[in-house]
Amino acid sequence: MPSPMLQRLKGFSYSLILLFVLGSFQKKEMDSTLSIQFRAYVHGVPLELNKKYQNPFGETFEITRFRFYAGKLAPVYTNANFKSKIPSHYHLIDFSDSATTRIELPVTAGIIYNGIQFQMGIDSADQNRGAQSGALDPAKGMFWTWNSGYINIKMEGNSPFSTQPAHIFEYHIGGYRNNYNTVWQIKLYSTNDQSFMISKEKKILIEIGMDLDYLFDGPTPIHIREIPSCMKPGELARKISENFIGTFTGLTISPNP
Amino acid sequence: MKSLAAITFIGFFCVIWTNIPFPFPVPEGFPSPIYKFQNNPRTREGFELGRKLFYDGLLSKDGNFPCSSCHQQFAAFATYEHRLSHGFNDQFSFRNAPGLFNLAWKKELDWDGGINHIEVQPLAPLLDPHEMAEDLNHVISKMKKDKTYPVLFNRVFGSPGISSQRILKALAQFTASLVSADSRYDKMKRGEVHFNQYELKGYEIFQQKCSRCHQEPLFTDFSYRNTGLEVDSTLKDFGRMRITGRKEDSIKFQVPSLRNVFLTYPYAHDGRFVTISEVLEHYNSGVVQGPTLDSGLRKGISISSDDRFYLIYFLETLTDSSFIKNPLYADPAMGVRNEAPAHLH
Ligand code: HEC
Ligand code: HEC
Repeated sequence: MPSPMLQRLKGFSYSLILLFVLGSFQKKEMDSTLSIQFRAYVHGVPLELNKKYQNPFGETFEITRFRFYAGKLAPVYTNANFKSKIPSHYHLIDFSDSATTRIELPVTAGIIYNGIQFQMGIDSADQNRGAQSGALDPAKGMFWTWNSGYINIKMEGNSPFSTQPAHIFEYHIGGYRNNYNTVWQIKLYSTNDQSFMISKEKKILIEIGMDLDYLFDGPTPIHIREIPSCMKPGELARKISENFIGTFTGLTISPNP
Repeated sequence: MKSLAAITFIGFFCVIWTNIPFPFPVPEGFPSPIYKFQNNPRTREGFELGRKLFYDGLLSKDGNFPCSSCHQQFAAFATYEHRLSHGFNDQFSFRNAPGLFNLAWKKELDWDGGINHIEVQPLAPLLDPHEMAEDLNHVISKMKKDKTYPVLFNRVFGSPGISSQRILKALAQFTASLVSADSRYDKMKRGEVHFNQYELKGYEIFQQKCSRCHQEPLFTDFSYRNTGLEVDSTLKDFGRMRITGRKEDSIKFQVPSLRNVFLTYPYAHDGRFVTISEVLEHYNSGVVQGPTLDSGLRKGISISSDDRFYLIYFLETLTDSSFIKNPLYADPAMGVRNEAPAHLH
C-alpha cells in the first residue's frame, strides 16, 4: 500500500503528463494565424477621425471617437459539420488606435474556411463577471457605472445639424437585458463566395469592411438633427445597434504579405 | 540546481504567506451567499487591502471623500443623519446612502438594483462627479506613486502591478465581508436570549404585516416594490424604471434590509423620513395610489398606536452592536469609533 503522499505525488505526475499531452495537442491545433483587419468607410472613403463627411441624409459630420467591442472571433469552416473552437475573449476595436483594428487570430492550418464569425458586443454572461481586465477593463471608459454594463459601441463627434451643446453627437450603445439586447452574432462571407485555406507558409489577410452610411441609413433612419444622442440602454439603443450590424458589408480575402 | 531549489522553496513560502486562508463564515440560518469570492479568493491580506482602500481619501479627487466619508461604521455604514450624502465640491448624492452589510447576499446593488455585481459597485461612487469625482487611470497612477500600495498589491495578488481589476477585487474582499448577524434577534434565534413580551408581540406583528417584503433572515426579499411614496419633484427618481426602461417598474425600489435600522436613519431611498415612526405612519396613512403600487398596499397597512409601540420594540432588536464595534471593520488607522466625531458635517 503506497503512502497517501506517494499516491498524491503519482496523481500529480499523471496530471503533469496530461498537461504536457494537452499542451502539445493544442499547439498542433492552432499552428497558424489569420490576420483580420477592420476597415471603416464613409461614402466609400476610408474613415479618418476629425474629418468632415456627409451622411446619406446630407448631414455633414465629423467623428472624434469610434470604438466597439467584437469578441469570440473565429473563422467559419466550409464544411458545416465542423464547428470552430470559439475563443472567449473580446477585442476593443478603437479607430483612434490603428493597432487595435487588426487582430492576429490563432487558427488551424490545412482546413478550408469560407467566412468569419464574431459577436458584436458583450453578452450577458460576460456582463456579470465582476471586475475584469484587458479589453474589458472599466478604465477603458466603455462601462456604465450606475447601470452596470459595457457600452458596446461608442461613437462621438460633432455636426452642425446636432441640437446638442457645442453641436456634439454621441451614440453610446449598449444594453443586454430583456428586450433591449444590443448584442448580435455576426457571420460574414466573402463577397464572391470565396473559400480560403491557411497553411503555415501561406498566410491570409481578411479585411472586414464597414460602411458607416448604414449606421444612419439603416432599418431605423438616424438623422443627427433628430437623434443627436443615445446614452442608455433602451429601444433606441437596440435600434441603433441593429443599424450598426448592417455596416459590416463583407470580407475581402487576400494573401498576407 | 541548488539555487533553483532554493527559489522554489522561497516561492513556496511566498505563496503560503500571500494566501493565508480567511474563510467566510455563513451565519447560521442564512441562505448560501451570491458572492462566494469566486475568482477572488478571500485572504486576510486581500481583506486588509480592501479595508485600507475603503478608508483612504486617495480614492477621491480632492482627498476628502473616501468610501468611509459616506459609509460610517457607527451608522452600520450608512451616512449618519443625512438625507443625502455629500461628496466632491459639496454636491449631494442622488440617493440616501444605505447601510453596508450582508452584501454578499445581494444579486443587485443600489436602491434601483442597477449594479449587477459587488465587484463593480465602487465604480459608481468613484467616477460620479458628485461623489468621489475621480478617474480610474488617475487613481491608479496616484497609487503607483504611493509608498505602500505597490508593495501591498504585490503581496495580495502575487505579482507587481496595480490595475482597476485589482482595486475592485480588493474592495470587494472588504465590502462582501461585512456581515451583520449578531443582533439580539439573532441571539434569540440561536436560543441565547429570550425576547421580552413587547419584543415578542412586535415580532408577531412584524411577521403578519411586514415580512412579506422584509423577509427573514436578511429582512428583505430583494424584490422591487412601489410602497406608495410620492416622487420627489426635484429628484425625479423613478427607481427601477431607470434601469429596465419599463413602465411597470416605475417608482419601484429594492426592499431594504431592516437589520440595524435604528442606526441608518434617515429612511427611504431619498431619506425623506427621519424616524421609524414616520415610516410606520406612511404605511398606515400616507400610501399614495398609483398604477405600480404594490397590490398589498392599496389600503395601506393599518398600524395602531399599540402596534407601532411593539413594532419599534422589535425593530430595535435588529441592531447589531458587535457589528458596529467590530475592530476588523474599522478604519485601520483609527480604530473603532462609537459615535459621530465632532467635526462631522
Ligand atoms: C458621496 C457619498 C458616497 C461615497 C463617497 C461612496 N458611497 Fe457608496 N453609496 C452612496 C449612496 C448615496 C448609495 C446609494 C446609491 C443608489 O442606490 O443609487 C451608495 C451605495 C453603495 C453600495 C450598495 C449598497 C446596497 O445595499 O445596494 C455599496 C456596496 C457602496 N455604496 C459601497 C461604496 C464603496 C466601496 C465606496 C468607495 C469606493 C463608496 N460606496 C463610496 C454614497 C457614497
Ligand atoms: C410591499 C412590500 C413591503 C411591505 C409589506 C413593507 N415594506 Fe417596508 N419597505 C419596502 C420598500 C420597497 C422600502 C423602500 C422604499 C423606498 O425607499 O422607496 C421599504 C422601506 C422601509 C423602511 C425604511 C428602511 C430604510 O433603510 O430606509 C422601514 C423602516 C420599513 N420599510 C419598515 C417596514 C415595516 C415595519 C413594515 C410592516 C409594517 C414594512 N416595512 C412593510 C417594502 C415593504
